[in-house]
Amino acid sequence: MIRALLPKLPIALVAGLAVAGLALGAIGAALLGNEPFIRVPEVHLAPQEVFTIGGFTVTNTLLSAWLTTVVVLLIFGLGSRKAALVPGRMQGAIEMLFEALYGFIKGVVGERYGRAFFPILATMFIFVAFNAWMALLPIYPTVGFKADGADYVTTHLLRSAGTDINLPLALAIISFVFVEVWGFKAQRFGYLKEFFRFRNPIDFFVGVLEIVSHLIRLVSFTFRLFGNMVAGEIILVMITFLLVFMAPIAFYLLEILVGGVQALIFMGLTLVFAFMAVAPHGADHEETHAP
Amino acid sequence: MFAAPLLQEATGIGALGVDLNSLIVYLINFGALALLLYFFAYKRVMRVLDERSTRIRESLEQADRVREQSVEAQASMQRALNEGREAGQAVLSEAREAAERYREQQAEQARTEAGAMLERARDEIRQERDAALEQVRAEFAGLAVTAAERIIHRSLDADAHRDLIDEVLAERESAGGGG
Repeated sequence: MIRALLPKLPIALVAGLAVAGLALGAIGAALLGNEPFIRVPEVHLAPQEVFTIGGFTVTNTLLSAWLTTVVVLLIFGLGSRKAALVPGRMQGAIEMLFEALYGFIKGVVGERYGRAFFPILATMFIFVAFNAWMALLPIYPTVGFKADGADYVTTHLLRSAGTDINLPLALAIISFVFVEVWGFKAQRFGYLKEFFRFRNPIDFFVGVLEIVSHLIRLVSFTFRLFGNMVAGEIILVMITFLLVFMAPIAFYLLEILVGGVQALIFMGLTLVFAFMAVAPHGADHEETHAP
Repeated sequence: MFAAPLLQEATGIGALGVDLNSLIVYLINFGALALLLYFFAYKRVMRVLDERSTRIRESLEQADRVREQSVEAQASMQRALNEGREAGQAVLSEAREAAERYREQQAEQARTEAGAMLERARDEIRQERDAALEQVRAEFAGLAVTAAERIIHRSLDADAHRDLIDEVLAERESAGGGG
């Protein structure tokens, strides 16, 4: 009897957790007239201060960025420490990621620029993706400090750095500088002709538009990443508040995907802009690959 | 130290928490991460990937060379085999011809020897016959003498009788055709 029921145990467990989640969540609590299991979440767009060092405020997002940096360095530094010709599992996984990223970059800009662009673009992808994925760990929303008199965590120790507008802005600035520097490096003063045109008023206006389009990338890069990361955090918090168990798993899986996709978009757009910058003006439709 | 005042006291864009210090720290952080990853990961892994790629390319080229050599060796072997087969066929055919010639030669020799032996046998038979005839003739002469002595009861000179008998026989032979 027990043996016959054993295979059905996981299904029963999932169903039980889903029902319990519904009952304990805000929806069930409202229907049953109880207090919700989790208190109403608060949304803080700005990061929270954890401590200060010599007047410099260390926020939870900054701590999270440092933690991501350390983890990334440990994983990639130790994983490629031996760099053997016959790789182990860790080195194999790192190689697979690097090859995929390098293949993607090389496919757009070719071998020469691919080599040059790879370190910055790969770091962008790795940092954004790992930062987003690490923020899904339970330690992020649970560990923190309670304010005086509060019976809940008012300041979280860690929070996804992507939800701090300073990080997307910093990455956008890096992307912008990277693109402009490479554009100038590849075309020298010919690159500036794209922005400063004096042949006729329309051409001049096109140049101004070009400058604006480059500057607007700073805003689009910043708010795309910031918006997606903040939205992801809010969705996770809200779904956990509403349904507590099981249902948030689907959204966690979605956020794993979103983290990777956002990292890829950030890297991909920087790559495309860099390619447009290094490609000779007017040859965009002829020569799609750098030599 | 571990106080938790919220930073979003400002309004508008400031409510998002834009902070120059944080921005600079993030920039430095990213730069340091990129630099460290470059020296401790990208450089190493890309070197290994390049080395492996070179090795694979060399191995493939070597495999191609070996395959070409193998094809050439196979063709050469086939040629040698064909040549050997042709040479074998020639030797075989030559051997057959030689054997045929030898057989004919031997048969001819055997025929010649058999003819010679036959001739010798005939000579011997002839000689034997002649000897036998000589012997019969001698015995017949003695017998005739003996018979004549008995008939005439007188003794005759033996030599004279023999001459007489020989003469008679010679006459008879010439008369009878040498029978």
